[in-house]
Amino acid sequence: MARQTALEGRRVTGPRGFPASRTARPFRGSRGIRRQLTVTPWLFLAPGLLIVGGFSLYPFLSTVAHSFTDARTLTAGRFVGGANYQELVHDALFWTGLRNSLLYVLGAVPLLVVLPLLLALLVQRQIPGIAFFRAAFYTPVVASVVVVGLVWVWLLDDRGLINALLEAVGFGRVGFLGDPWLLLLSAMAVTVWKGLGYYMIIYLAALADVPRELHEACAVDGAGPVRRFLTVTVPAVRSTMVLVAALSSVNAFKVFSEVYLMAGPTGGPGGEDTTLVMLVRQVGTGLSGRVGYASALSVVVFVLTLGLMLLVLRAQRREDG
Amino acid sequence: MRRLSRRAAAATAVLITSALSLTGCGAPGEAGGSDSASGKVEGQVTFQTWNLKTHFKKYFDGVIADFEKKYPDAQVKWVDQPAEGYPEKLSADAAGGTLPDVVNVSPDLAYPLAKAGLALNLEKAAGKYRGEYLEAAWQSHGMPGLQGVYAFPWYLNTGPMFYNKDLFRKAGLDPDKPPTTYDQLFRDAVAMAQKSGRKIAMLASTPSIEDFGRYGVRLMNAQGTAFTFNEPRGVDLLQHYKELYAAGALDSQALTAQAESAGRKFEQQSVAMNPGSALDLGNFKKDAPSLYKNIGITDAVNNTGKANMYVQGLMVNAQSKVKPAAVTFAHFVTDRQNQMAFAKQVTIFPSTKGSLDDPYFTEEDGTDATRVRVASAKSLKTAVNYTPVLLSDQMKTVLRNAVAKAVQGKQSPKAALDDAVAECTRLLKTG
Repeated sequence: MARQTALEGRRVTGPRGFPASRTARPFRGSRGIRRQLTVTPWLFLAPGLLIVGGFSLYPFLSTVAHSFTDARTLTAGRFVGGANYQELVHDALFWTGLRNSLLYVLGAVPLLVVLPLLLALLVQRQIPGIAFFRAAFYTPVVASVVVVGLVWVWLLDDRGLINALLEAVGFGRVGFLGDPWLLLLSAMAVTVWKGLGYYMIIYLAALADVPRELHEACAVDGAGPVRRFLTVTVPAVRSTMVLVAALSSVNAFKVFSEVYLMAGPTGGPGGEDTTLVMLVRQVGTGLSGRVGYASALSVVVFVLTLGLMLLVLRAQRREDG
Repeated sequence: MRRLSRRAAAATAVLITSALSLTGCGAPGEAGGSDSASGKVEGQVTFQTWNLKTHFKKYFDGVIADFEKKYPDAQVKWVDQPAEGYPEKLSADAAGGTLPDVVNVSPDLAYPLAKAGLALNLEKAAGKYRGEYLEAAWQSHGMPGLQGVYAFPWYLNTGPMFYNKDLFRKAGLDPDKPPTTYDQLFRDAVAMAQKSGRKIAMLASTPSIEDFGRYGVRLMNAQGTAFTFNEPRGVDLLQHYKELYAAGALDSQALTAQAESAGRKFEQQSVAMNPGSALDLGNFKKDAPSLYKNIGITDAVNNTGKANMYVQGLMVNAQSKVKPAAVTFAHFVTDRQNQMAFAKQVTIFPSTKGSLDDPYFTEEDGTDATRVRVASAKSLKTAVNYTPVLLSDQMKTVLRNAVAKAVQGKQSPKAALDDAVAECTRLLKTG
């Protein structure tokens, strides 16, 4: 008992200034104050909780509930058990969508993890005019995805600029927008191009925390730029790389706009470029939309996205371990 | 104990939420509406059109002013929605209970609304007006499986086909004799591709359900319970399109083409023929003057002798609080006088009896525009709406994907159409 707390060391008074007790005791507070301490934080949290509850939790629970019904846009559904999930397993477009969404992750995510880091290293240097390049690289991020999609459709058109250039240098025209695989690759390229600036900014923040002394020590030991990158920069920003991988994986898995704009609402020739989110939109919207089936698809997309996130985080933990 | 009760409360909340969702509280399908529309014409009527304000604001302002003058106790609030996403807008309004009192619809949009009890049965509420309209137009908003008619017929169209006379000339084709049947179209298309070294395609898109109809394919059985477009004629049509694609007579991006992208190809003059509307002429004049100088207008190719009839209608919301005023206004907009005035603003055709016999639709002045107008008006007298009202957007996608697979050679035309018919019929039955 060598030390006394501040409260124990002074005379504690109750309401109206009367002594609470003759001997000093640890302060427990009155019932009113205790209740206030319990209620006040919830009052602060209430607006946020209401918004999350109303706009995230309720729609989510509602989607889960609807996935067990045959609800349509204009008609309330009947409970059909797991029929929607059974149908989904036999739906060829679901498997096409799953394949394309996974391919999108495999194709776009590695590029979105590595390229922005290299860009960030480039624009990190303090040289005259670098602000212009930083702004230029970031511009696609703030551009509307619809505008970006349309611009790329014009560029990749049979008679667009890119085909004109290819023809001028002796290659024939390439059907970027007519072949299902080229269409998917083109959409991935647009996603990567549009996302570079965003992830570059995240990396720039991480690179600012890498101690310069480490680079200097490495250089003194005779390491070149590549070795310094691999042994100093990469380990220092590894947690940021995991963050970027997680964010870009989720975004790539849920891709919609780029593919929709470039491949059209049917998902490319014969629906070969349909992604899972496109499929949700395709079956769930319109006056005859199959809300029940679209809800089942949405739940599956949610579970798969969650699984993807957990995989990335697990990989990170294993690295740390 | 305390932790257990919190868990129990959370579980109860989830269950209550789920139960509320499962019971579909407030779903429009449960709401009923009387078919009666008798009473005083009063109150505010909300009137929704489909992409008409940009070009025809003056006309509609005039119609509304005339109506409000005739019925001083009624007011009209006009809202216009853009062309894109119109079905989504309607479904959001219908689900949210905010559907306007009078709504511009096509028969395929009216069907789900009527099925959900949101469209007023005009056979009961406004049957006295039936004699004012062409019988085929009045019947066009009759719905399979439902008794009655669910929208006033409004303006009609056959959809002209534009073609590039210069490209026809360069391909050695007669620019004054565009193809009128599918056989001629296929022959000319191959000639066009060969002469241009596969640089000019005749068409920018794959066949739609209307093409199947115009080709003479039976689309549904008589009971309206199954699709039948996989019959031999349908397979034959698809086989021809497959050959066109292989010959370069179909644009290489035809498999993913939308109306907008097909129109752009036509304006770029890389495609020789494209369907459109009268509004397109103005766009060609402004955006592609060299194309405008060489533009030809003809009817859509047809094997049946019966043109496709595009019908627009005005539906009255069955839950409207101002039903008498809404029915009266919908009839007012679609009456002979107002439809005729609208037809003089743009190339559309009135659905009222006798209007198509007006000299405006029977006498030519030597220009392409009047020639097509007169021909279209004549063909409308026997025209049919080929698009089955039961064909939902999802079914259209199924057909389009099947066509793409056949055209690319990934499936035989027969197998692709068999699959599409099976899937569309399954969707029809589960609907």
